[in-house]
Amino acid sequence: MTLLAQYALTGVVTGCFLILATIGFSLTRQVEGFLNIAHAELLGVSAFITWGLNAGAGWPIVPAAIVAIVATAFIGLFIGRVVYDPIRRLGPAVVLISSVGVAYVIAGLMHAIIGTGIRTLDVPLATTFKFFGLRITNYQMIVVGLAALTGISLALFLNRTRTGLAIRAMSTNPELAASRGIDVRQTSRATWLLSSGLAGLAGVMLALIATLSTDIAFHQILQILAVAILAGLGSLYSVIVAGLIVGIAMDVSVFWIPAGYRPLIAFAVVIIALVVRPEGLSMKSSS
Amino acid sequence: MKNAMSVKGALLKSTLLAGAVAASTVAARGEDVTIGVLVPLTGELGEFGKIVAGAVELGVDEVNAAGGTKCGNLRTVVADTGGNPEVGIREATKMIESEGAVAVVGPTSGVMVALVDLAKRTKTVIMSPYAGTITLNELGGDYVYRTVSSDLGDGAASGLWLTDKGYKRVAFMVQNEESTISPAQVAREKLESSGIELTDYVVYNPGQPSYQAELVSVLAHEPDAIYLAGGQESGVTVIKEATAGGFEGEWLFTADLAVPEIFDAVGAQYLNDRAYVEFADSDSSLPEYKAFEALYKEKTGGEPGPFASNSFDMVNLIALSLESADSCTGEGINGVIRAVAEGGEAVGSFAAGKEAIAAGKDINYEGASGPLTMDESGTPDGAYSIQQARDGKWENVKFYPASAFE
Repeated sequence: MTLLAQYALTGVVTGCFLILATIGFSLTRQVEGFLNIAHAELLGVSAFITWGLNAGAGWPIVPAAIVAIVATAFIGLFIGRVVYDPIRRLGPAVVLISSVGVAYVIAGLMHAIIGTGIRTLDVPLATTFKFFGLRITNYQMIVVGLAALTGISLALFLNRTRTGLAIRAMSTNPELAASRGIDVRQTSRATWLLSSGLAGLAGVMLALIATLSTDIAFHQILQILAVAILAGLGSLYSVIVAGLIVGIAMDVSVFWIPAGYRPLIAFAVVIIALVVRPEGLSMKSSS
Repeated sequence: MKNAMSVKGALLKSTLLAGAVAASTVAARGEDVTIGVLVPLTGELGEFGKIVAGAVELGVDEVNAAGGTKCGNLRTVVADTGGNPEVGIREATKMIESEGAVAVVGPTSGVMVALVDLAKRTKTVIMSPYAGTITLNELGGDYVYRTVSSDLGDGAASGLWLTDKGYKRVAFMVQNEESTISPAQVAREKLESSGIELTDYVVYNPGQPSYQAELVSVLAHEPDAIYLAGGQESGVTVIKEATAGGFEGEWLFTADLAVPEIFDAVGAQYLNDRAYVEFADSDSSLPEYKAFEALYKEKTGGEPGPFASNSFDMVNLIALSLESADSCTGEGINGVIRAVAEGGEAVGSFAAGKEAIAAGKDINYEGASGPLTMDESGTPDGAYSIQQARDGKWENVKFYPASAFE
C-alpha cells in the first residue's frame, strides 16, 4: 500500500512538471491558434541559460533562474514576432510546420553552442524528506510548489488584470475582441512573453531535476502534447487536471506494468479520455 | 533530431573529403591496395572515430614501412559517416566502386549492420573495431568481421563480477535499447544461475527529466547493488535520485559511464569506493599490447585511446591476409582471414608475419587487443576490465581475460 502511495506521490510530481511544461504551450494554442512544437525547445534554452550562469559563471541558482526565465520570455517573443507573425495569415497548419522548423533551428544552435555530452547544475544533491513512510525530495517539493503558485498566479492574472482579460477575450473570439477595441498586437506580445516565460520556468525545473543534454528538452514534447490534448482547447484550468491525470497514471502504472511502457500509458489515457469526452476535459470545442 | 543535424555536418565533411580523396587518387601508385576508413568524425561518436582513423593510419604506415604487402603498399581513403547508416552506405559504395577499396574498416554498429548486404554483394571485407551489436552475431562471419567482442560479452563480465563480489540481492536498471538490454539479459542469467536474488529488473526509457517512478520499487527492496546499464544522461539522474532516495549499496555501471565526467556530474563523494564500472578492454599485460603502446607513444606522443589497439589490429589482419591470399581482392582476404588469426606460428606484427609467410609457414596473428580467433560470426572473444571509483577517478581492480569465460 505504501508502495502504491509512493507511486501516486511521484506521479503528482511528474504531473506538476507536466503542468509547468504544458501551460505555456496551451496558452499559445488558445491565443495564437496553433500548436507551437518549438515550445519544448524553449525549455532547453532556459535550462542551458540557467546552467551557463550557475555552473559556468558561478552565479547562485535563484538569480540564474530568474535571468533564464526573463531571457527565454524575450527569446520567445522575438521568435513570435519574427517568425510566426508574418506567416500567421497562411493558417495554423503552416505555422505549425514552421514551428517544427523553429524547433530544429533552436536545437541546432544549442548543439553548436553547447556541444555534446551531459551538463548538471552546481547545486547540492537533493535532500529527501519522509512523511508517513513516503519519500519526497526538496527539489520535488519545489516543482509541486511552483506548479501550484503558477496555477494560482495565472488565474489571478487572467481574471484580475486588464492584459489578462484581453488575453482571455482574444482566446475566446479574436475578431470580437478586436472589434471591441482590444489591442490585438499588444495582447499577442503579452501572450508570447507569458507563455515563453512559463516555458522558461519549466526549463529551470528541468535543469534542477534532470541531467541536461541538448536533446532532453525536445523529448518532452510528446508528453506536453498528450497533456494539451487531454486538457482540450478551452481552459487553462483543465491543463492542471490533465497534467495531474497523465502524471499520476504514468507513474502508478509502473506498479503493475513494466516501466518501459510509461510513455504509452500517457497516450492510452489520452485516447480513453477522448473516446469518452471528445472535446477534452475543458468541455469546450475548438474556436 | 540529432541525426538530422549530423547528416548536414556529414554532407559538408564528405564533400570536403571527396575533394581530398580525388587528389590522393592521382598521387596513388597503380599497384597500391586501397582500404576505406569509414568512421564517424562528427556527431556523438566523433571522438571515437578520430581515434580509430588515427590508429588505422599508424597501422598502414607500419605495414608500408615493412615493405608493404605482396599486392603493393596500403593506402587509405577516409570518409565521415556522422554515425548515420545512410551516409555510411553512400560513402562505402563510393569507396568500393570508385576507389576500388578491397576492405572498408571502422564503421559503428548501425552503419556496420547497414553495410552487410553491400559487403557480400561486392565481395568486400568490412571490419569494425567497436561494433558490439548482437545483430552482427547473426549477420557476421562472411565478409563481415570485427576485432571487438560482442555486447553479450559485457553482460557475461558484469554477471561474473556481481557473482564474484558476493552480493546477495541485486537490482537491474536497464535503458530501453538493444545495446543495453542484450548484455543485461546475459548478466541476469548468470545471476539467476548463481542463486543471487534479482530484486527488480527495470527497463526504462531514456530522455526523461526524472526516474523516480522507476526507482520506487528498486529502493523499497534495498538491494546490495544496482546494475545500471544506461547512457550518461539517464545514468547520472538515476544515480543522483537513488542516492538522494537513501540507496546505500554499491553500483555496477556499463561502459557509457566509464568516463571521468561522471564524478563532476554526480559528485565524487557519492561514488568513491562504492561504484564500479565494466567495459571491454585490451589485455595490457600482453607483450603485443605493450609493443603497440610503445609504438603509439613514439609516433603520436599520446596514450592510445579506446579501441586504438583494435583498430591497429584490423590493418594488420587485412595486410597479412593480402600477404597470404591468392588474389589481391576482398574475396582473397575473406578466404584466409580466419586462418591468419588462428593456428600456426604466433606473430605479433605485420613484419614478423610477412617473414613467416614468406618462409612458407602458417601464422597466427596475436593482436595488440588480444587473441583474434574468430567465432562463426567473425567475432573474437573479449577481455574486460572492472574499475572502481577512488578519489574521483576510475582505477583498475579486476581484469577478466577471454579465458575467464570458457
